[in-house]
Amino acid sequence: MISAYILITMQPGKTDKAIKEMRAISNIVKISIIAGEYDIVVRAQVKNLEELLEVTDKLQVVEGISKTTTQIIEKEISVQ
Amino acid sequence: MNIPKKHLFYVLAISSAFIAAAVTGLDSFVGGQSAFKYDPWAFAFAIFFVGAIVTLLISLFFSVRLNSKSIGAKVLDPSFSRVRLIQKSELKNHLVAGLMNAINTVGYCAIVSTVQDPSVILSFSQVVILYLLLMESITEKDVPTLVEVQSSVTVAFGAILASISLKGEFEIMSLAIVFVLINPTWAIFSIYQRRLKLMRIRNKPNDAINIRMWNVFFSLLFTSLILLGFDLATNGGHLLAGFHAVLSPYLFLLLAATMSITFFSYVLYIRSLGLGKASINNAIRASTIIFAIPFSLLLIYFGVMGPPSTDPVMLIIKVIGMILIIFGIISFAFTVVKAYIFITIKPGKNHKEVMDKLWDIKGITHVTVTAGKYDIIVKVSTRTLLKGYERIIKKIEEIPEIQKYRWASVLRDWENI
Repeated sequence: MISAYILITMQPGKTDKAIKEMRAISNIVKISIIAGEYDIVVRAQVKNLEELLEVTDKLQVVEGISKTTTQIIEKEISVQ
Repeated sequence: MNIPKKHLFYVLAISSAFIAAAVTGLDSFVGGQSAFKYDPWAFAFAIFFVGAIVTLLISLFFSVRLNSKSIGAKVLDPSFSRVRLIQKSELKNHLVAGLMNAINTVGYCAIVSTVQDPSVILSFSQVVILYLLLMESITEKDVPTLVEVQSSVTVAFGAILASISLKGEFEIMSLAIVFVLINPTWAIFSIYQRRLKLMRIRNKPNDAINIRMWNVFFSLLFTSLILLGFDLATNGGHLLAGFHAVLSPYLFLLLAATMSITFFSYVLYIRSLGLGKASINNAIRASTIIFAIPFSLLLIYFGVMGPPSTDPVMLIIKVIGMILIIFGIISFAFTVVKAYIFITIKPGKNHKEVMDKLWDIKGITHVTVTAGKYDIIVKVSTRTLLKGYERIIKKIEEIPEIQKYRWASVLRDWENI
């Protein structure tokens, strides 16, 4: 199982609709709207890199997304 | 199903609270049976004896695999895979939690058999959040914020007011057992259950189902030991009375019913303990008082409890208490600050070392090493931005391997469960 954070930059004013579309993508487990350098952080969980490509492909056609930066998780410690 | 992360925590805690209210209603009924009415010791033993059997069966059922995933993982806790033996590292936490649960249950059984009104019993037990806040500030070296203190006090006072029974009586006698026995043991029990939930077993997060199952086993062990010692010292026959009661099919079925419902209440509770601080969790569970009302009414209807009071003053005070509890809970709910921190490490520095240093900072809930523009992404959860600076940013700046970091506050989030 591969997890990745995808950092997304949005065009102004299209966040709400874009989030609705993103929530329909099955491999996305978490979506956070953030304030800072990026606008949205998405966490994806996929079986292999090919599936990750599918997720980013799907994200790139969501209206309002202008740029995605993918960070593949190599190691993780967490409370859950 | 997509549920906003913040809500997931509350959904878990509130459903567990509702189930807990149902269980207390049922327990009051069972405690009123002649075998247990004057023998809370036997009651506690019978609960855990039947509980151990029922819990094992339920856990085994949840271990059954459907399409490579266990039923338990699908329905209750995604971290669960199958029933397993405990690891050496878990043993100490399980021993403490089991002992505390054993003592707690004996006290609880004593109260349930005498008071019988679930809306009172549950109100008493809510004062536990004050103990928890105090303990958290000692063990986690974390000073509670004003909001936390305010809300806890509101909930606590609300709970005391709401503890007036529907019969219009204020049960002072039982308060002593609650304060000396039930609340401290419950507080320690919660903290150790949380520690267990936060542990990683074979590099995977610990799961609530195994934690609950082993807790029942250890509680049975301690209850039996305590009872055996007590019986030998006083020449009593509580252990035998407990065994005898379990042999009655009617009582066995009643106990099996309360213990299987309790199982779900605890599993949801343990899961929510892993998501938030123990004291906040308990504040939310304070809502069980409200859920207890319909069950108290049911008990009155079936004649287990005496007729309700018609004194308006007492009932108004009870309602005010409940409103205070709700406000206390809401003020907890709206004060969580979450953020991501994107970190770049100086070239040639060891990622593992930085990861461990970051993980030691209180308030950091995820540390991930990533390949891409940033080296590490950290997730933070804190009660105020000031605490975020004092507790987290200051500490991050002290780590020499970190070249630069960017803080990004979370405005809203969703999680797929």
